[in-house]
This record gives sequence, C-alpha cells and structure tokens, in this order.
Amino acid sequence: MLPVIKFLLFKTIRLALLIGTVATLSFILVSNSPIDPVDAYVGDAILKISPEQREIIAQRWGLNKPPVERFLAWAGQLVTGDFGVSAIFNEPVLSVIGKRFVTSFWLMAFAWSFSGITGFCLGLSAGAGEKGLLDRGIRIYAYTMASTPTFWVGIVMLMVFSVFLGWTPTCCAWPLGMSADQATIWQRLHHLLLPAITLSLVGTAKIAIHTREKTIEAMHSDYAIFARAQGETTFGIVFIHTVRNVALPAITLQFASLGELFGGAVLAEQVFSYPGLGRATVEAGIRGDIPLLLGIVLFGTVFVFTGNFIADLIYQLIDPRMRNRAGATP
Amino acid sequence: MKIIYLFLRVTLPFLLFLTAACDRQEKKVSHNTPEKLTLAVGGEKAEGFDPTLGWGSYGNPLFHSTLLKRDADLNIVPDLATEWKLGDHQLTWTIKIRDDVLFSDGSPLTAGDVAYTFNTAATAGGVHDLSNLEIAEATSNTTLILRLKQPDITFIQHLITLGIVPEKLHGSDYGRHPVGSGPYKLVRWDEGQQMIVEANKLYYGEQPSIKRLVFLFADEDTALAAARAGQIDVLSIPSSMAGQDIPNMKLHVVKSVDNRGLMFPTVPNTGKKTPAGLPIGNDVTSNVAIRKAINYAIDRESLVAGVLDGYGRPAFGVADDLPWDNPEIRFKDNDPERAKKILETAGWIDTNGDGICEKNGINAEFTVLYNAKDSLRQGLALAVSDMLKPVGIKAVPRGENWDRIKRETHTNVVVYGFGGHTPLEMYSLYHSPGPEPMYRNAGFYSNPVVDRYLDQARKTTSFENSIPMWKKAQWDGETGFSVLGDAAWAWLVNLDHTYFINQCLDVGKSQMEPHGHGWPITANINQWKWICN
Repeated sequence: MLPVIKFLLFKTIRLALLIGTVATLSFILVSNSPIDPVDAYVGDAILKISPEQREIIAQRWGLNKPPVERFLAWAGQLVTGDFGVSAIFNEPVLSVIGKRFVTSFWLMAFAWSFSGITGFCLGLSAGAGEKGLLDRGIRIYAYTMASTPTFWVGIVMLMVFSVFLGWTPTCCAWPLGMSADQATIWQRLHHLLLPAITLSLVGTAKIAIHTREKTIEAMHSDYAIFARAQGETTFGIVFIHTVRNVALPAITLQFASLGELFGGAVLAEQVFSYPGLGRATVEAGIRGDIPLLLGIVLFGTVFVFTGNFIADLIYQLIDPRMRNRAGATP
Repeated sequence: MKIIYLFLRVTLPFLLFLTAACDRQEKKVSHNTPEKLTLAVGGEKAEGFDPTLGWGSYGNPLFHSTLLKRDADLNIVPDLATEWKLGDHQLTWTIKIRDDVLFSDGSPLTAGDVAYTFNTAATAGGVHDLSNLEIAEATSNTTLILRLKQPDITFIQHLITLGIVPEKLHGSDYGRHPVGSGPYKLVRWDEGQQMIVEANKLYYGEQPSIKRLVFLFADEDTALAAARAGQIDVLSIPSSMAGQDIPNMKLHVVKSVDNRGLMFPTVPNTGKKTPAGLPIGNDVTSNVAIRKAINYAIDRESLVAGVLDGYGRPAFGVADDLPWDNPEIRFKDNDPERAKKILETAGWIDTNGDGICEKNGINAEFTVLYNAKDSLRQGLALAVSDMLKPVGIKAVPRGENWDRIKRETHTNVVVYGFGGHTPLEMYSLYHSPGPEPMYRNAGFYSNPVVDRYLDQARKTTSFENSIPMWKKAQWDGETGFSVLGDAAWAWLVNLDHTYFINQCLDVGKSQMEPHGHGWPITANINQWKWICN
C-alpha cells in the first residue's frame, strides 16, 4: 500500500505548492493591473463622487492598505477557508463561485463528454480509412474548427438555429420569465444545447486530429500488420488492437484539456448569456474585483489539477504496463 | 465585441435577405397577455438592489420610493415627502413625509426608516456620495431632519435618487431580497440572466397597468437576437444599429444629455506634475484663441449626421436643455472664417506654408485621445480632426484604453462623455480642481469668477434660486466657462438614445435621459400602457 500513499502525498504537496505559487503570482499581476476598481465601480457617477467618498469606498474594500499587507491578510484568511467577499457581487466569494459553477458544470460536462466521445470516434474512423473520402471530410471539419474562435462559432450558431430557424432559445439557462425550479429538465437541456454544442464542436476537432494521428500510427505498427497477415479485417484491427493503444493518449488529452474547456466556457457563456462562472470571471477581471478573481483562479487551478490527477489515476487503472511499474511515480 | 458588431452589421442583412426567401408563416406573436413585458435594457446591479449602496442612483430604483422625484420635464415634484424646507443657514433640511405608505411586506414606512437609510448610505461606501451628511434624525413618525456639514443645494439630488429601505429588514443580504415601497417588487433574480418583478399591490401611487416585468440581462448581440426571435418588448440598442427593422417593433428615440466633448488642458506645460506623478498642461490648448477657434470651426450638425446617423443634436454645453442650461451660450458654429480670424488676431499664423499655424515657434498641433473601444468616440475624433485641418490646426486622433488615457489626461485633449440630472457635474468639471483631479476638471481650468458663481450656487437657499448662478457660471455677460468666455471645453454632440419597443406598447413621454443608455427609460414605467387588444 505504501506506493499509493507515497503517490498521494507527492500529489498533495505538489498541489499545495502550485496553489501557493499561483496565488502569489496572480496577486502580483492583479494588484499591478492598471484597472482602478473604484473607478470601475462608480462608473457613470464619477463626477458625483467626491474624493472623500472615494476614500470611503476604498476603505470598504480594504484598498487603502498597501498591497503586501492586503496579500498577507487575504492569504491568512484563505488558510482558514475564507476566500473573502467579492467586491462587485457584495457576497462571499465561495458562494458566488458555487452558484455560478453549478450552471457552468452542466455546460462543461455536456461539452466535455460529447466532444470526447465524438472526437474519438471521428478520429478513429478517419485514421482507419486514411486518405479516404471520410478521412478527408473529417480532416476538413477538424482543421476548420480548430482554427475558428469559439465565440464566432457561437454567434453563427445563434444566428442560424435561434434566429432564423427558431429551434433553440437565444439566451439564458432556462426560459425567460420562468424561475429555475419551474423550468423542466427538458427546457433546461434545450437551453443548454446550443452553447454545449458550440463548445464541443471546437473541442471535438482537437481530439479528432490527435486520435487520427495515433490511429494511423497504430495501423502501421507491427502488430496491426501481423493481424492483417493473419486475415483480420480492418474493422477487427481497429476494434481489437488499435482502440486500446489509441485510447490512452486520447484520455490523457481529454483530461488535460479541462483547462481549455474552462477557457472556452468563458467565451461561450458570454455569447449565449449563460450565467456561469465564465461570465463572472470576465466581470471580475474588467472591474478589478481582486478577491473574486483570485478565488476563481484558485478554483480553476484545483479544477485543472484534478483533471490531470484523474488522468494519472486512469492511466494506472487501464494500462497494465503502468500498474506493473507500481511504486514508480508517473 | 467589435468583430461581432461588424458581423451583425455586414453579414446580418445579407443572411436576412437569404432567409426572407424561405419565410416562415408562423412568426410568433409577441405576447397575447399584456400583463407581462420582457425588457432588455440592462440595469443589473451585480452587488444587489440595495439603495444604500447606490441602487437607483442612476435611473430609478423601481422597488423603492424616494422623497422627491423628477417628472417628465425634470421638474422636482414630491414623492414620499409632503413638505421640504431648507433652513438654518442652508444646513438643515426639514422634511415631512406621507403617513400612508407601506412597504411591500405590509409594514409602515416611517421617518425613522428614512433617517436610517440616509445614515446608512453615508457610511456604506456605495455610489451615493453622502459624505456631506452630518446626521439624519427622525423627530416624529412623519418628520425628519437632515443636518449637513456644509451648505450644498446639490444635496437635493439624494432626496431624488436615494430609495428608502425598511430599517428592520435591512442587512447584508438585503440587496438580494429588497423590500421597498416602490411601484414594483422583486419576485426573483437569476443573477447574470434575468429578473422578474411584479406590481406592488400596496403601492401608494397609481397602480402600474403592466403587472409583470421580466428584465433580461444579456449582451447587446444576444438581446438583439432575442428581439428578432420575438421574445423582447423593449430593447435598448446603440443608435448605429437603429437603422434596421425588427418585426413587430417600432423605434423609440429619446433625447438625452448624454454628451460628448473635447476636454482641453487649459494650463501650459511647465513641467509640473500631480502628486501621483501625472504631467500637467499643454502649450497649445492652454491658449484660449486655439480653444475658441476649434469651437467655431467644428460643424456639429454634420457630426450628428455623419457620426451619429442623425440620432442626436449638437452640444454647446455640459447641460444642454436642462433647467440650469444658459441658452445664451449657443453660437453659430461651422464658421472656419471666424476661427481663422481668431487665430490670426492671437498671432497664430502659418509662416512656413505647411498648412499648420505657428506662434513663437510652436505648431498648433495636439493629440486627441479617445477610448479605442468606442467607435462613436473614434468617429468624432477623426471627423473633428478633418474639420480643423482647413483652419490650420492639426489634431492627431489616437485611440487608447482608459487606463492609458487616465495617465495622459492632463496633457492631451480627450473625448469625454458626461451628462447627468444634477448641476453638480458642472461644478466638478469647471470649479478649480484639487491637486489630483483625475476626471474632475482634468484640464485644470480655473477662473475665480466662475468659482465664485459655482460656490454661490451650492450655497443658495433653494434649488430654484441656484439656477441663475449655474447659468452665470457659464456666461455672465463678461466671462464664464462656455465658448463665449474661456471655452474650457469644446462640446460636440448630445446623443439620442434609441430603443425598439413593441408596437403595442405606449411608453408615454420619456424623460431627457442622462449619460448611459438603457435603464433610465424605466423612469416612468408605471405609466406604460398596452394599446392593442
């Protein structure tokens, strides 16, 4: 059992160090940002705010103290699990993240599994029929999508499916004028559909290209040629020999792409007015809400770290070769 | 965002044309029930709907009522207050309020609640600047006293905009569950997405005829898409996009004091810096002849036609058509001959034939900074630059982000936009500045006569009495900050705010709107009527 404990210990220390570094770096970056949170907060009222009132506002957010003191205070609170209070939402950071993440979670979960499965299947079929018509089609699709910005895909989808065809709603996580609990699961799925598909269209491309490469490699390997020599069909080679070898890198890639998924969600949510964590991040950034931004950054760090961690675990589970090397840290 | 905008502008009409061919018969009829309206006019307050933090300071607080309010013509009229009087050397407001007002939870609104609201807002650190309030005290259930630290008539703005909260329900979570005495009450708020409100049955005023409102909080592009899909009844839209047709909607244009103008540094650059290290002064625009010439040379009508697509009107001051605007400051612009003469008299002459005037070896040349993200300001800066070329002034437009502009604001001409329902703005822009003014009089303009009028205006005994003083600060027959006097700014245009509204909706007479487009249209929302069957 010792190797497992060693593995977990190693990962925990690494996470702690990572959080410490990310927190410090982000704080330095944010506090050097030229954005003045007080200006961003008062907005149009700028001429009606006297210097005395600016003082009062700065005091409320603790901005009147020097950055180092603020960082130490913030870090001290953080150790006790207190992420502070978001300046723009006037609510504890954890509660803001909690509310928003629930909405984002379904979007990301849908997009992530959909792009993983379809991307893998597309890549596999493209690689198996290398240079065929299907391969060419899939490649065109994948290269186009991989080089298209998410928000643009989003706008086009919105135009076509919501405005012209009227099949999908234009915005929001559930029907306008309804409350979350009044909305049925179907209505929520209906609203989730377009942003999720937008997000997966782009995600699919990456995994498809990658899987295709690996499949071609596998199809040209000795074991594939040997199997073919024994009379195995292409279908058989793909499903019995290739899939196993291709799955591993694909899974790694898919888990490692959680970071990109996070970034993509920011853009997709912006376009579809989907009130998730992505929109909160944009708000926090442009209005200089330091506690919230740092909270989200830390949350993102843990999220991406967990993704990689799971990939490591799955490696051990599905690849017997890894298991046999037990004790060695990956 | 710019790309999305371009896409909408360029590609959309084309796509529309294509789909017109396969027209769908069953275009959704907007709403059969006039009880519910969906509005996409912004207005979400991320920190919650708490007036003590500033909810309602811009537009109206909807869920709350205020002591006074402004009617469609911007006259001050009573709301909660029945009597209000300024006394004790302009240091004490004595206010009597109605005794029949209930909060939407059924509890009565007393002078104690009003006093609590004012005292709390003063220290809360929100957008209401009540730093001049000494203390608010209720002397009975219907009478209260507001004591000020210094006489200031512009304090009346807080009587107009500060929504009253119930003392016993107010706390840290109040903004998410507001209870007030306004025409509507909050039913639910899905943050970042929508807000549902319904008529407050206990409202003491006229019951609104539209019982339920849904406010959509979405990006411009998304809201437009939703309107095209027939889901929106009131949509605020930039005037550059007002040229299109949206099925079942009509265009509603509202005048505003949402102005844009050129701020001039009015002092020469002597190497002085602000305490924060920002350099001060510009050797060209510190010259009053240059500033006047610019004002006369600009053709404001064509700015409106060319840059605003006609949705606006020329601006001559910071408060055009507001009660404290001095009509005498209007002048005939688009007069390059007069501009040239002014320059010549002041000694600005093009001696080396490069098309730019010089004086004492200095070229009549400066940079015009504008927010690079704002295509309207960019358009204004470019057009002005073209208009000044023929008179021998070289204005070089340069787009920057706000943070960069802030650092260079005391040395360069900047395209700014202001405009609010309080003359306090005039004071902030034209009174001699403090050491670190930032946006408040960024040009370091200073004229002792103007200062005196502005100070006097704030110390008058009533808002009506202050109006002549505000007017004199602009132009008293001899001096002033307007173009006739020191020409501290070159105001260019006032925007029109454009909305698409459902054909069946009558929104009555809209107030002249302040800077910022969207929420202010709700100012008279309890008078909106559905006019179809």
